[in-house]
Amino acid sequence: MIKNHPDADLLAEYTAGVMALAPTISVTTHLQFCNSCKSTVKALEELGGEMLEQADAVPVSDDLLEQIFACVEEDETSEDSLLTRPTTIDEVASSIPAYLQKFLPEGKLHWKFLSPSVKVAPISVGETVHELALHKIKVGGKVPEHNHLGKEITVVLKGSFSDEDGVYQRGDFMVREAGEIHQPIAATHEECICLSVLAAPFKLTGLKRWLNPFLSFSPS
Amino acid sequence: MKISFDSRKPATLMNERLEWDSYLEKVGLYKDKAAFAAVFKHFSPLLKSFLMKSGGQDSASVEELVQETWIKVWRKAPHFSSKQGSASTWIYTIARNTRIDAIRTQVRQNPDRLNAEDIYADYPTEAPHTSLVQLRNKRFVSEELRKLPAEQAEVLALMYFRGKSGQQVADTLNLPLGTVKSRIRLALAKMKLALPGSIAERQTGATEND
Ligand SMILES: [Zn+2]
Repeated sequence: MIKNHPDADLLAEYTAGVMALAPTISVTTHLQFCNSCKSTVKALEELGGEMLEQADAVPVSDDLLEQIFACVEEDETSEDSLLTRPTTIDEVASSIPAYLQKFLPEGKLHWKFLSPSVKVAPISVGETVHELALHKIKVGGKVPEHNHLGKEITVVLKGSFSDEDGVYQRGDFMVREAGEIHQPIAATHEECICLSVLAAPFKLTGLKRWLNPFLSFSPS
Repeated sequence: MKISFDSRKPATLMNERLEWDSYLEKVGLYKDKAAFAAVFKHFSPLLKSFLMKSGGQDSASVEELVQETWIKVWRKAPHFSSKQGSASTWIYTIARNTRIDAIRTQVRQNPDRLNAEDIYADYPTEAPHTSLVQLRNKRFVSEELRKLPAEQAEVLALMYFRGKSGQQVADTLNLPLGTVKSRIRLALAKMKLALPGSIAERQTGATEND
């Protein structure tokens, strides 16, 4: 059962389309698991439709409709392009959302050790404010205690982990504010895979952020 | 600051709304140009207003976005189903996606690799509402939206229409982010748009949805 959801204001930002790409992806990922938030988003889209209905009208050019008909007749043959899912070799890669696979070179994730029990596979979505990655914690593995320099969003894709505040399972969506210290531990029967989005701590480190690892470990 | 949507505008008649739905379905089924023209006539001035406010570009480039939105509406119309939502909601999401892609193209964030519509996948809801239930919900939202206190309506307008994030809204209005967030939550609660699960504070662990 999913116990951790994005706040309503976050879902509103998502629906209004005003969120950066990486956090948007994290919310979409949660929606794949969560019918409750999915219907909230539907309702928020209805609000968008309602606001559109109540907008103050601005007249358009007289020939706009003709132009549109001309355009659609031109490419009558091209159907709306469906997203083709590349063939993936990597087992984990094939379990992540189809649209994310667009960003994986040759359909593969490139895992790097972050600590003996944690691996990270960064996914570059061409966004500069946030970093998106998958984290894999091995069975019973402990993530070294760390301090977030920037806000971090985590969505559990597989398995579960726990920290001081509770247990997080498949589909759970969590936000950690900058400065919150925690130490996640994977469940003892299964490895845990999470999608995470970290707000790059520009303000704190400026250009030096490029020297930081994905997670910034506290010296403790 | 002027509120971006006009709450004094008379409500579009509800049965008129059902017409947009059936016109749009005709576009999808038969590529019916007359039906498309009717939907176009009603929504174009609204779309222009919506896209103008969020982009702030000149009239010509806004019309390009309006045009782009309609071309997508025409092509995607076979996927429209009034059981999944109303015409205005569906058109809103297409316009929003068009705006997102236009902004991302401007700032060169990999525009050709990912489109907004790839991310905002259209998940069908488990139990589609009957059009009557939908219409009733819609009427409720429509009425409540008109009755919102100006400060809550303003925040929603800045977000949905001007394309500002919560933080940007806070900066614009010179308010703490927390105030902006609580205005959004209050507004959504009034319109009964958010379930308790998503309204509850994080980490209370008291919510048991799904
Ligand atoms: Zn949820």
